[in-house]
Amino acid sequence: METATMTPSPTTPTHAVSMDARSAPASAPAADAPPLIEIGGFSFWYGPKQALFDIDLRIRERAVTAFIGPSGCGKSTLLRCLNRMNDLIDGVRVEGSVRVQGQDLYGPDVDVVDVRKRLGMVFQKSNPFPKSIFENVVYGLRLQGVKNKGVLRDACEKALRGSALWDEVKDRIEESALSLSGGQMQRLCIARALAVEPEVVLMDEPCSALDPIATAKIEELIFQLKERFTIVIVTHNMQQAARVSDETGFFMLGKLIEFDKTDVIFTRPKQKMTEDYITGRFG
Amino acid sequence: MSSSAASTPGGAGLSPAARAGTRQNRVRTLTDRFATRFVTASGISIIAAILAILFVIAGVAWPLVLPARARALPAVVLPAGTQPLAVRVDEYREEAFVATSAGLLLVPLKGGAPSAADLPALDGATVTSARSVTGGLALGLSDGRVLPVTTAVDVTYPGGKRLLVPRVTAADPLVADPAGRPVKTFALAETPDGPLLAAAVGPREVSLDTVTETTSLIGGTTREESRQSLALGSEGDASALAVDDRGQDVFAGTTAGKVVRFDRTDASAPGLAESVPVNGDGAAVTLLGFLNGDRTLVVGDAAGRVSTWQVVKDDSGRRHLARMHDFAPHGAAVTGFSPSRRDKGFVTTDASGRTMVRYGTTGKTLLDLPGAGAAITGVTFAPKADGIAAVDAGGKLLQWDVRNPHPEVSWRTLFGKVWYEGYQKPEYVWQSTGATDDFEAKLSLTPLIYGTLKGTFYSLLVAVPLALMGALYTAQFMHPDLKALLKPTIEIMAALPSVVLGFIGGLWLAPTLERTAPGVLLMPLVIPFLTFAAIAAWTALPASWRRVIPHGYELVLLVPVVLAGGALAIWIGSGVESAALGGDYRTWLVSALGLSYDQRNSLVVGIAMGFAVIPIIFTVAEDSLASVPQGLSAGSLALGATRWQTALRVVLPTASPGIFSAVMIGFGRAVGETMIVLMATGNTPIMNSSLFSGFRAMSANIAVELPEAPEGGTLFRVLFLAALLLFGMTFVVNTAAELVRLRLRSKYRTFE
Repeated sequence: METATMTPSPTTPTHAVSMDARSAPASAPAADAPPLIEIGGFSFWYGPKQALFDIDLRIRERAVTAFIGPSGCGKSTLLRCLNRMNDLIDGVRVEGSVRVQGQDLYGPDVDVVDVRKRLGMVFQKSNPFPKSIFENVVYGLRLQGVKNKGVLRDACEKALRGSALWDEVKDRIEESALSLSGGQMQRLCIARALAVEPEVVLMDEPCSALDPIATAKIEELIFQLKERFTIVIVTHNMQQAARVSDETGFFMLGKLIEFDKTDVIFTRPKQKMTEDYITGRFG
Repeated sequence: MSSSAASTPGGAGLSPAARAGTRQNRVRTLTDRFATRFVTASGISIIAAILAILFVIAGVAWPLVLPARARALPAVVLPAGTQPLAVRVDEYREEAFVATSAGLLLVPLKGGAPSAADLPALDGATVTSARSVTGGLALGLSDGRVLPVTTAVDVTYPGGKRLLVPRVTAADPLVADPAGRPVKTFALAETPDGPLLAAAVGPREVSLDTVTETTSLIGGTTREESRQSLALGSEGDASALAVDDRGQDVFAGTTAGKVVRFDRTDASAPGLAESVPVNGDGAAVTLLGFLNGDRTLVVGDAAGRVSTWQVVKDDSGRRHLARMHDFAPHGAAVTGFSPSRRDKGFVTTDASGRTMVRYGTTGKTLLDLPGAGAAITGVTFAPKADGIAAVDAGGKLLQWDVRNPHPEVSWRTLFGKVWYEGYQKPEYVWQSTGATDDFEAKLSLTPLIYGTLKGTFYSLLVAVPLALMGALYTAQFMHPDLKALLKPTIEIMAALPSVVLGFIGGLWLAPTLERTAPGVLLMPLVIPFLTFAAIAAWTALPASWRRVIPHGYELVLLVPVVLAGGALAIWIGSGVESAALGGDYRTWLVSALGLSYDQRNSLVVGIAMGFAVIPIIFTVAEDSLASVPQGLSAGSLALGATRWQTALRVVLPTASPGIFSAVMIGFGRAVGETMIVLMATGNTPIMNSSLFSGFRAMSANIAVELPEAPEGGTLFRVLFLAALLLFGMTFVVNTAAELVRLRLRSKYRTFE
């Protein structure tokens, strides 16, 4: 699967294009705008075990979409399917489609490496490389062959500003990334994902290992980031989903139970199961 | 829990269940304490055991560095009026024979009065000079004759009591000067053709007396004495003489401070070959003598200088005298000399009464013994080199016990270049034993250290790239099922006894390599090329074809490719050999590169020992690569890196401490490896970096020589020193590696 041809997708839009396309105010995206990601009839198997069942979901551009649900419900699996990180596991199988701006990520001519460039990911456990802060941030750019020191510096500053880390580390970007605090490391990982200018930032429980203050900073950051990026976040913390997201999907045993505007999910869920979960009857 | 149990002492009034719980807690505490102490004690005893081994090894090697020691024994006062000229002692230092101007004096050294030996052959002449020669003393007489005297001690047990009977036998005298002038100084050697005598009787000449003894079948022995005169001309009077026991050269020291060499290659007409000034100020040469083996000439002069010389051949084959060492000078004229009969040691004495013990190989002065003040006229090194006896002008016989078991060892002889007898220039040589008794031990550890490092280098050159690339592939790309099969297989390689590897290396690989060497050397080029070509061809195949092989098992297809690559390389190699190397690469190596091809060479060892080292490097490196957190590679992949980029940029640097350890453990294994280098190298202690020549490693050297080294001898101790060095080398390398590893680890510490 990994050895798909290296032809870059002709439909890959640059960030500039998407910036141009932005006409509605970012804080209130139009509900009827075409979705950026369309998941249709998507099922997923880990070997013989089916983990996702026939998911249909639309993710809007420049909005925060949260996936919630109890452990093992498949929300992280779905997130990882969005940039094909699950390909790394042996014996996985998919059915259905994931379309990003109309292009199927699981199509025959798709370059996985290109998919991952367009859909950046931040992990539950912050995973800075054992390199300097600077090298961490520009890692993705270096992979793309950018060598110009000035370009790298500018991109580094921009990404660090984007993740609200610049003021804290600007005097020590040559120091090891491992000297940062836990919250700073997670924001560094966000900066690293932002540096390659992805269209979508996928966040897999980004705050689960952080203290409340660091969590608050990340949530504030997510709020700022949605002005420029489409964000999909998986979280265990329902308050967090309520605070940061525009739309929320509730998953249960590999099925999408309910998907709607966040305030609808949290105030007037249509499904009994959703209500039970949100009100803490199980979970 | 245990603390709560401990806080309720006694347990009175507790329920039985609670009491049982308390007892259980106590047992648990005791077990825990016992386990802690047991583990601690085990750890400490391991360290202690290693230290004990180290101390045992160091303890055996230690005496090498101890200085020589001497203890003065009470002097024996000779009868009044005695003018001693030379001295000789028996093997057990119980009887001394002193040549005096009046004849020969027998001096019991364990008590008893000296007595004059009966020497009718003196025939009324007085002794004018005397020297110690093989088997006894030779006396130069006032009537122009030289009288060789055999000295011996017979041990008898009359009535169960041990009795020493000194025996003195005069041989036929040689006539140095038919005119009857007194013999001022002389030298006498027993050459294969018969005795050879050089004597100074008249001014500016040396009288050379050759005796040819022919034994005819019917008659008795006929003795024919012929005399030649060697003119010194303007070189001065002969003040010291020496002839070697091969009868090759006659050396004359002159009053003008020169050593004149007469070449006896043409014995009928010996010619003056060269005249070498031995000092700057022209002080007279007062002493010439040979060290054991008659190769090294010791020269002493009136100013107290002592130097050693030898006849070397220059590049054009011309023989000439070359100065080897200058020794610490005496303060006064050198008067006496005696070589050790066991090694290259010697003793010199001077006119102020000082005696110095020196060693020819090292150029060192080992002992400086003060005398009684009177000029020492004769000195002898006891036959077992365990004592010195000297006679002085004051009529005393001085004695010392000497303890000097390892005179040939110094930092220079162990690690530096040394100018050995028979060598044209100083060199690093290991040759611990020889065919003859007068062999000069050559104990340079440098060629052995070099051999160890050379073997290690070539084996790591083979093992490190293969093992590390294999580990990287296995850890990062290989299908888990295949990995589960492959990793234990490679680890089994480590269990292969090295003696088997050495056996295969020496007896199968070495002759095979000899036939196919050009091809084998082409393999590192041909096999990767063919592999890449095969991979390119594979990826060009339609996907439906490729699906025939299950995902992850494509690797198996490479096995025949690699084998074919090996065969192709050998085929190309033989083609290259016949086309470009003139049909025989060995001849070409000698003519084009000046390298000779030994069958058991570094290439064989590189492959055989590389095979032994690969598993350990592979296993440790693979473990450290596989233990790089998944999150790091996932983070890299999520940023759009390919798996190859991830492996190179994230996994490899993060695993670098472990990889470094792996290489260092491999290094340690290769340094200490014995059987393979023993069996596959040829064990020639030479120093050259050629891939096609053998070497001798320290470990193999210990294995080869220790069984034949006499316990407590110099070789025995030097081998232990080599063991200590081996230990030290691995210790230093491992410690340095550990420090580097810790540094790397703190640099590439992964966030947990």
